[in-house]
Amino acid sequence: MSKPLLELKNITKQYQLGPVTVDTLKGINLTIYEGDMVSIVGASGCGKSTLMNIIGFLDKPTSGDYLIEGQKTKDLSDNDLSRLRNEKIGFVFQSYNLLQRLDILENVAVPLLYRGWPRSRIVARAREMLARVGMGDREDHTPNELSGGQQQRVAIARALAGNPSLILADEPTGALDVKTSADIMALFEELHEKEGITIVLITHDVEIAEDCPRRVLLRDGIVAEDESL
Amino acid sequence: MMIKANIKMGLSSLIAAKQRSILALLGIVIGIGSVIAMVSVGIIVKENTLKQFQQMGTDYIVISKGWGGPSGEGAPELTTEQAEKLPLFVPTIKEATVMGTGSGNFSYQGKDYNYQAVAVEQDFLGINRLKLAKGRFISDLDVNMNYVVIGDEVAQAMAKNNIPNPIGAEIQLQDRLFTVIGVLEKAPTGGIAPFNANRCIFVPLSTYLSVFPNSEISNILARVTGADVATKVTQDIINYFKLRDPELSIEVQNAEQLIAQLESQMQMFTLLLGAIGSISLIVGGVGVMNVMLVSVSERKKEIGIRRAIGALQRDIQVQFLVESLVLCLLGGIIGLLIGVGASYFIAKHNGWEFTISSIAIIMGFGVSSAVGLFFGYFPARQAAKLDPIVALRS
Repeated sequence: MSKPLLELKNITKQYQLGPVTVDTLKGINLTIYEGDMVSIVGASGCGKSTLMNIIGFLDKPTSGDYLIEGQKTKDLSDNDLSRLRNEKIGFVFQSYNLLQRLDILENVAVPLLYRGWPRSRIVARAREMLARVGMGDREDHTPNELSGGQQQRVAIARALAGNPSLILADEPTGALDVKTSADIMALFEELHEKEGITIVLITHDVEIAEDCPRRVLLRDGIVAEDESL
Repeated sequence: MMIKANIKMGLSSLIAAKQRSILALLGIVIGIGSVIAMVSVGIIVKENTLKQFQQMGTDYIVISKGWGGPSGEGAPELTTEQAEKLPLFVPTIKEATVMGTGSGNFSYQGKDYNYQAVAVEQDFLGINRLKLAKGRFISDLDVNMNYVVIGDEVAQAMAKNNIPNPIGAEIQLQDRLFTVIGVLEKAPTGGIAPFNANRCIFVPLSTYLSVFPNSEISNILARVTGADVATKVTQDIINYFKLRDPELSIEVQNAEQLIAQLESQMQMFTLLLGAIGSISLIVGGVGVMNVMLVSVSERKKEIGIRRAIGALQRDIQVQFLVESLVLCLLGGIIGLLIGVGASYFIAKHNGWEFTISSIAIIMGFGVSSAVGLFFGYFPARQAAKLDPIVALRS
């Protein structure tokens, strides 16, 4: 068994909606190992997005422990969490979330810019990543000149650029047609199999989930099923 | 790297929102433009005035018969004797001369000329630091002689009427013929001298007193031993005349006094325009703040994305601060150009020597940066404090 990358121990999350307290997560226990490719599935409102935000250090759990590479994250400052996001997590979103005013090379370079790398190293790395996802010939295009599938490839290149411990993808194929979805999934599988990159996919699409070797089903704020396929 | 990327980003987002940026710039441009114009005109005026005073010398004083007091027949008057004895009784006065004024309208070869006649004695030339271009000046031996020396502009006017060398010309003045015996070089104008040498015709005092109607000595012009005694000497002179003729009212002007007066006037002027400039800068700054707030709320998504991929709050804050700084500096540069341009035209229009002052340029950049940082701080802070999840969802 490989090393645990993420450990979630009895994670809960409560929201205060006016006078009402909403329990979104009610005690999540989940370990994700290095080299895993996990889908997290569940119906709307089951807490998928909240869990993703917590895994991605965008949000803090109300209680419970969350460890990444054995390191506790409970009392980290906003700056520490920002650095963790930058170094450990590569986000891929449903709506690509590229910066429209930058060309795609610059888009891929942004996370490295925040890491303070020298320019030449950033450009080289960004080029390498664009080539990796098959977008190397369009580095000076802006996102709105590209199709959805191409934009998602750029987003994946951006996620990979910082050499993160984990690719965290939130409905990465949600806005794509069947054919393009399959291409993107093939890219994820390739990254997982050939390079051993850890991938967590959040989706409500059963077929996408079936492409992943491990599936975690959330229901009503807890892990209802956790199975290897 | 980060700063360069930020400046590039800032510029591109300003270009993306062109109209809004231009409108926001307008306030800054007007503000900086007026501040720069005011500072630079102020400096130009001051330099030019000081130069005039320096050419004239700060040891120069002018004693005039004051307003008020009795007038008409038998009224107290300044006399040549008083002027001659002045240096004896007020030892800080080196030399003194008297002058009188009258109509200098004359005609020559059927053409009329309108100038001022100034009645002088021999030492007038040296005390006023005037120089001869041609011929000779009035001498103490020219008693009751019908001689004139003409100023530079008078000579030019005659040259225009085909009299290139006026020496020896017999002009008709006060129904008499006067012979032109000398022409002055162009003299600096301004300062406290009660005449403009370029537009004067000079006649011997003795001739003036006997020929001109209502002739009287109007001023005593003097040089003191140094600029530092100018203030003290004023009191001594007033006392001197009070002892001799209590009814005679006297005014003494010295360059120091006038410079001080001018400086306090300039200060008022600067303060006033500075206040106007500051108000327009505040208005411009609020405009910039408004644009930046709109920009922040329009770009929440971008902020969310940046935060998700690892931007610190500080990175976001710097990004928006740089954007507002770039906006204000752009406005500042345009304002600077307009301000300097305006002061150039004002200087040219008034015949002042134009200089670009480094103070104005430093102020332009400094003030616009300060406005950018001050009014950009709050919007940038707001952007940085956005919850990344909320920002991403928008």
